[in-house]
Amino acid sequence: MAEINVTAGTEAILTLGTTEAMAAPGGTGGMVIPLMQDVTVNASPGIVRYSVLNNPSSKAFTTVNENSVSANMLLDEETFFGLDAAGGVNQVADDGLFKTSVDKTEVFFSVAFQGSGAGGHYVKGQGFISGLAPTAQMDAAVWISPMEIVVNGELANATV
Amino acid sequence: MSIRTLILQQLANTLANGGVVSDDYSLEANELPWNASGEPLYVKNMRVVYVGDEDEAKVQLYRTLDQGNVYQTETTVQAFLTEDAKNIKANNPTVIDNMLNAKDIVNTANGFNVQLAESGYEQEIDGDTITYTFEYIFTTI
Repeated sequence: MAEINVTAGTEAILTLGTTEAMAAPGGTGGMVIPLMQDVTVNASPGIVRYSVLNNPSSKAFTTVNENSVSANMLLDEETFFGLDAAGGVNQVADDGLFKTSVDKTEVFFSVAFQGSGAGGHYVKGQGFISGLAPTAQMDAAVWISPMEIVVNGELANATV
Repeated sequence: MSIRTLILQQLANTLANGGVVSDDYSLEANELPWNASGEPLYVKNMRVVYVGDEDEAKVQLYRTLDQGNVYQTETTVQAFLTEDAKNIKANNPTVIDNMLNAKDIVNTANGFNVQLAESGYEQEIDGDTITYTFEYIFTTI
């Protein structure tokens, strides 16, 4: 048992693609989001609480899961606006995050917890890019933006 | 080109062109303000501007998960000017103004992405001399 250390710079990786295989960590043609400051996987079952007259504590039942992946990143030109020379392999990479979000294109994604090496755990799914809000200010010196992938369906875990 | 070199380049201009060079004032373009016989050169050579070496520090501005880190460089440069306190030249305010404005030479066109550029000075009278100590502070990415 040990913590998963991400300081090596090769562990926490968000990859996007047009197929599940492409979006897997290390997948051919996958678009790795560079310069992320943080990435968060939100796996949240919906829960409804209710009270009954003969019990002093509230009760609960679950509803559907609402999943998302969020991140904050320094903007990379080609990642945000698309490849300078479209490769024709990964439409998400060719279009960039902004157009993919505007077009409401569904993407496959993976969040690697332990890099792309064999045996590394990752979480995968598919969803829509949302929440882009690029911000520039003199103190920050560079463009920064949050991003959210609103997951369509369920998250799943897998290993490389 | 270093920040000190750019400042020297700017101050080497004539008074009318944003520098300090005039009949009364000049710039020492090569030497640092070292001490000769225990006395700083800028005290010994009045109305000659001396520019000190740079102090630098690299500070991490952003850490990213893929180690694509962004650093900012903090640079401080000092410059010195001594005058005869009994006989301040008429050009003195212009020289001081030009020395303060010399910070503007550090810009994108000269290879520096400047986040912060500040200049200021302190003055100290010792006997019959007044010494102006200028400090330029830059934060570049």
